[in-house]
Amino acid sequence: MAYHKITLTINGEPEQVDVPSNMTLLKMLRERLGKTGTKNGCAAGECGACTVMVNGEPVNSCMILAVECDGSEIVTVEGLSDHGSLAPIQEAIMESGGVQCGFCTPGILIASQALLNRNPNPSEAEIREALVGNLCRCTGYVRIIEAVQAAAQMV
Amino acid sequence: MLEAHPGLPEFDYIKPKTLAEASRFLADHAGEARPLSGGTDIFVRMRDGVWKDKYLVDIKGLDGTDEIVYDPSKGLTIGAAVAMNRVSAHPDVKKHYAALADAVDKVASYQLRNRATIVGNICNASPAGDTIGACLLLGGALDVHGVDGARTEPLASFFEGPGSTALKPGDVVTSLRLPLPPKGLVGRYYKLGRNKSSDLSIIGVTVVGFPDKRAASGYRIKLALASVAPTPLVVAQVEEILAAKPVTEQTIAEAAQAAMDACTPIDDVRASARYRKMMARNLSQKALTEIWNQLGR
Amino acid sequence: MTTTVVHERIPEPIGESKPRLDNRKKVTGAATYADDMQFGSGLLYARILHSPHPHALIKSINISRAKALPGVKAVVTGEDFPGFIGLYLQDRHIFCRDRVRYVGDPVAGVAATSEEIAVKAVNLIEVEYEVLEPVVNPEFGASPDAPLVHPQLSEYKVVPFILPQAGTNISNLFKVRKGDVGAAWEKCAAIVERKYRIPHIQHVPIEPHVAIAQVDETGEVTLWGSSQSPFAQRNLIAQALGISQSDMRVVAPYVGGGFGSKAGVSMEALAVAIATKVRGRPVKLRLTREEEFYTAFVRQELISYFKMGCDKNGKILAMENRFYWGGGAYTEYGVNVTRAAGYSSTGPYEVPNVKTDSYCVYTNHPVGGPMRGFGMPEMHTGLEQCIDDLAHEIGIDPVEIRRRNCIREGSILVTGSKMHPTGLPQCIEETAKAIQWGQKASPSAPNKRRGKGTAIMWKAPAMPPNAGSSAWVELAEDGTVTVGLGGQDLGQGTFTVCAQMAAAALGVPYESVRIATPVDTRFSPYEWQTVASRLTWSMGNAVVSAAQDARRQILDLVSEAWGEDPEDLDIRNGVVVSYKSEQEIPLKDMVIYGLPKPNDSGWMGGPIRGRGKFMPTYVTSLDPETGQGERAVVHYTTGSQSVELEVDLDTGQVEILRGASSFDVGKAINPEMVKAQMEGGFVQGLSSALFEEMKMVDGYMQNPSFVDYRIATTTDAPSDLQSVIVEVPQDDGPWGARGIGEHSMVATAAAIANAIFDAVGIRMEGPPFSAEKIYLAMLDAGIVE
Ligand SMILES: Cc1cc2nc3c(=O)[nH]c(=O)nc-3n(C[C@H](O)[C@H](O)[C@H](O)COP(=O)(O)OP(=O)(O)OC[C@H]3O[C@@H](n4cnc5c(N)ncnc54)[C@H](O)[C@@H]3O)c2cc1C
Ligand code: FES
Ligand code: FES
Repeated sequence: MAYHKITLTINGEPEQVDVPSNMTLLKMLRERLGKTGTKNGCAAGECGACTVMVNGEPVNSCMILAVECDGSEIVTVEGLSDHGSLAPIQEAIMESGGVQCGFCTPGILIASQALLNRNPNPSEAEIREALVGNLCRCTGYVRIIEAVQAAAQMV
Repeated sequence: MLEAHPGLPEFDYIKPKTLAEASRFLADHAGEARPLSGGTDIFVRMRDGVWKDKYLVDIKGLDGTDEIVYDPSKGLTIGAAVAMNRVSAHPDVKKHYAALADAVDKVASYQLRNRATIVGNICNASPAGDTIGACLLLGGALDVHGVDGARTEPLASFFEGPGSTALKPGDVVTSLRLPLPPKGLVGRYYKLGRNKSSDLSIIGVTVVGFPDKRAASGYRIKLALASVAPTPLVVAQVEEILAAKPVTEQTIAEAAQAAMDACTPIDDVRASARYRKMMARNLSQKALTEIWNQLGR
Repeated sequence: MTTTVVHERIPEPIGESKPRLDNRKKVTGAATYADDMQFGSGLLYARILHSPHPHALIKSINISRAKALPGVKAVVTGEDFPGFIGLYLQDRHIFCRDRVRYVGDPVAGVAATSEEIAVKAVNLIEVEYEVLEPVVNPEFGASPDAPLVHPQLSEYKVVPFILPQAGTNISNLFKVRKGDVGAAWEKCAAIVERKYRIPHIQHVPIEPHVAIAQVDETGEVTLWGSSQSPFAQRNLIAQALGISQSDMRVVAPYVGGGFGSKAGVSMEALAVAIATKVRGRPVKLRLTREEEFYTAFVRQELISYFKMGCDKNGKILAMENRFYWGGGAYTEYGVNVTRAAGYSSTGPYEVPNVKTDSYCVYTNHPVGGPMRGFGMPEMHTGLEQCIDDLAHEIGIDPVEIRRRNCIREGSILVTGSKMHPTGLPQCIEETAKAIQWGQKASPSAPNKRRGKGTAIMWKAPAMPPNAGSSAWVELAEDGTVTVGLGGQDLGQGTFTVCAQMAAAALGVPYESVRIATPVDTRFSPYEWQTVASRLTWSMGNAVVSAAQDARRQILDLVSEAWGEDPEDLDIRNGVVVSYKSEQEIPLKDMVIYGLPKPNDSGWMGGPIRGRGKFMPTYVTSLDPETGQGERAVVHYTTGSQSVELEVDLDTGQVEILRGASSFDVGKAINPEMVKAQMEGGFVQGLSSALFEEMKMVDGYMQNPSFVDYRIATTTDAPSDLQSVIVEVPQDDGPWGARGIGEHSMVATAAAIANAIFDAVGIRMEGPPFSAEKIYLAMLDAGIVE
């Protein structure tokens, strides 16, 4: 199998990685770069736990090859906070109680941040639509949606 | 029984520099190479062990595949690599091709639509493909680059069976073209899944309509169904009924019945054929009624 | 109303909605889950060869080609591991030895230097099977005509309160014979008889199971895993391997959801077994989502028959219930679901005449295990629809019939014991009020029908009578407190609640309490399992007692140093104060180094470490023929759920417009987290009611992926979800608290079914109440054409 040398930035830091063709972005983040905040819940594009931003847009990192990300800017949950100061969406979800087991949380945070980036004042229906690809088995979603609404108010 | 692989099986990722190179590679490796666009069908099938390609040939970035252009004199051209979200966010698509924008927004999730493409949806040729109906009804055609050069494939004759199309080894679709919409065109996509959104369709109903003086009723209304036949199904009788007779509650019911009669769904894990047939009627009726309202009944 | 136990002043921060302890780690991606742990380049990857048949004999296994593959370090089969494993009934080997009993049963395991090589090796193992007829229906499985899934059932080791029936597929039978059911029917003014069928579903934690095992040169085993039950895993795996529990260490980092699937032992034993053959090297086994669906625990299926009758005032006089639990291929854990359903078989009603037969039946389906509710959602889904039907039959409002019959303090329960104080009547009123019961709102569109439904529930922690908890409390140089405990935070928030309880019992600020994590059986105090919604109550009691022990040591020391009566001393906000002399000393100045004796004559005290434990001592056994006994369980949490919904006549789709939950939690230590449990449980219940089913055909699951096993998403959950806490204290709970985690999904499916009936007048045999099922039922009923 062919290997590819790719360069990209992860949370603002430049990285160079040698990846096999079949390595997904998810696998590279978790197994090559130690960015284990991004989770694997299905490896099939269904659960959203692996959501990261590629060039500002959220994608399922299990559904994109690492080699396809050559030259891209990636933001993972680890990159949402800035030197220990948390993003409003992180503060808001802690405050609302939208975190239980926390396994869906990284993907939810990225998808929510991406929503707020493109739509600073989303309606409840827009929030629900934007997060429909992020399964959460614990919370019933109520407090997650509250958190996005609260974060919109903060910024 | 599904024994999915924990990761993707081995393959080589190929990034050709030109269309000619892509076509040549795909033709030389017929049966073991596949064009890669968003990958959202490919990666699922490969992990499940259904597809065993040795090469994935990335078509993103090849000539013309990354652009979406609306030309008021010609219509819309959507590059094969343009992700769905870019399509539905395009102001001219919303304005002139509402059925397509509507259908796109009902595919999977926002994240997935940042990867999934309409051309991928079409080439995958699943009966459940949500965006195909709109492309068919809007008179879409594909620009194809093959080993013998470029050609056009009208969608009307593109689908041959589930997963099977008029594409030949070496073919790369570069874009989808939709002609200028008729004046006053409205459109809608109704999708029924098990969940309220994000599911694959149990059934999908695309309807478009526009005023047409040549039709006896004064309207031309067309309907296509997803997930009810081996290929995406345009129900010609619906157009005929609603063109020939005045559009009323009765003729809409008649057209909806024709939609039901035209489909040949199967029982699968998502729904029974019986339910699908009835939903073909009920949702067709709903969608047709809404289009009629939009046309200003 | 019920009497309320009067408690002394409730100290801070009990009853305060403190933020989760692990919040920050979880929102920054810093929380380490099992799959995130790093084991270096020596790590080996395991894959499992699963049975492709629901039922077959293994004729031969050839592993030579797999073993020869470069990179393969071990290939193991059942031959290598003769021991049995199981929580209540030891009916399982780690790997199958002579027979496979479900599609997914582990036949062989491989460890290799990469996951890819392990996959290839698994494909090189050759197995010859003799295919047998599978048992796929529990009711048939219980009959004498069924082929035997476990011919050796009578030889298995079993706990005394589980009663396998030799020579059958019945691995437990729980019977209730109370009063005279036969005589009671004549007195009834209305009788209804119903049958329901509840399909297998799966827990679907978003984190699939992961286990990493390592066996060192001396044979000591370490297992890191996504686990609800580190101590039970230590015990059961050690027994199966024939090693000492002290040589088996289980470390449990953050868990990405459990809901019962990560209780007891499932795939963890596979990783350990393989690791025994590659000493020194860690071996990692991670289930794919597909494997998660059918090779980890699933929820039992249930075929239930109810017969109930009431007098003309709606007073329930008799119930006769028969339950056939489809326990799957192994019922080592599931047998106790059957028992719990038996001793709770009347639901939360006082019924004088009861006959129940609750059968646990082996089938050739995936392994039934504990799942949120432990049999109660399955049972209540039928029972609570039947109660509604009875109400309609006798012409009484469904909420009213519940008011008239629900258990109250002093009610005689199905097992003959007396009910403790309970807020159930209040819960019923709360949810009725929340959805404006009795007022019919008009539908949002002409093609919709609107309906309301209510269901009530009870559930006791289902566990051995003597399941115990322990805890310790230590203080550091700066006066901060660390609590050691052995239960697990699955997201429900038990660490936060235990920190609150320790802070309250000791007299320190919440912010200065830490929990000693990850739970590690080598260092953490014993805890039976994180199941049964028992931690707040049981582990909470242990933590409180450990904190009180530390407090006592501190106050004894200070009282000696100051020459004061300990009764005059208190610890407030981390400072020891005397109400008499008004002296003060911060904890940090004495909890490690002690205090000087007077006149420079030396030192006294020393590092403070409080110890605590809790174990219920009062649960008695029940008569095997009648199910009667003095006290069957520790307590019951009760509650009510109501919904308002709309059914779309064109499609059969249901939209839940609003939901209300009210539960008597005794005392909400952290009210917002209690409400979060109610919300999450409601939506999980909603999901099971509308979408979820493992579609089984001849023993094969048709939908083992998220593509076709749908769960509720953001757009399916209602935005109007009300949660009302009722607090009637538990006499032996910390500040009166009892559990809430599981209860929150017990009545949901029944409430939804009752609301669908209210909307369109149809009943279905069982969930999921999919659009298709509803539409076709409406068609049959002539509601639509
Ligand atoms: C979680 C999930 C949910 C989904 N939900 C939906 C849904 O709701 N509705 C729906 O319709 N689909 C759904 N899909 C399927 C899939 O996302 C769509 O079919 C998508 O449009 C495929 O586009 P793609 O660019 O990802 O195609 P790819 O996976 O890249 O390709 C699909 C097929 O088309 C071929 N192909 C792609 N581009 C070209 C080209 N330019 N020239 C020639 N051949 C080409 C490929 O070789 C392949 O055979 C879902 C998929 C996933 C993983
Ligand atoms: S892991 Fe990528 S969507 Fe589930
Ligand atoms: S918090 Fe557990 S899955 Fe969302």
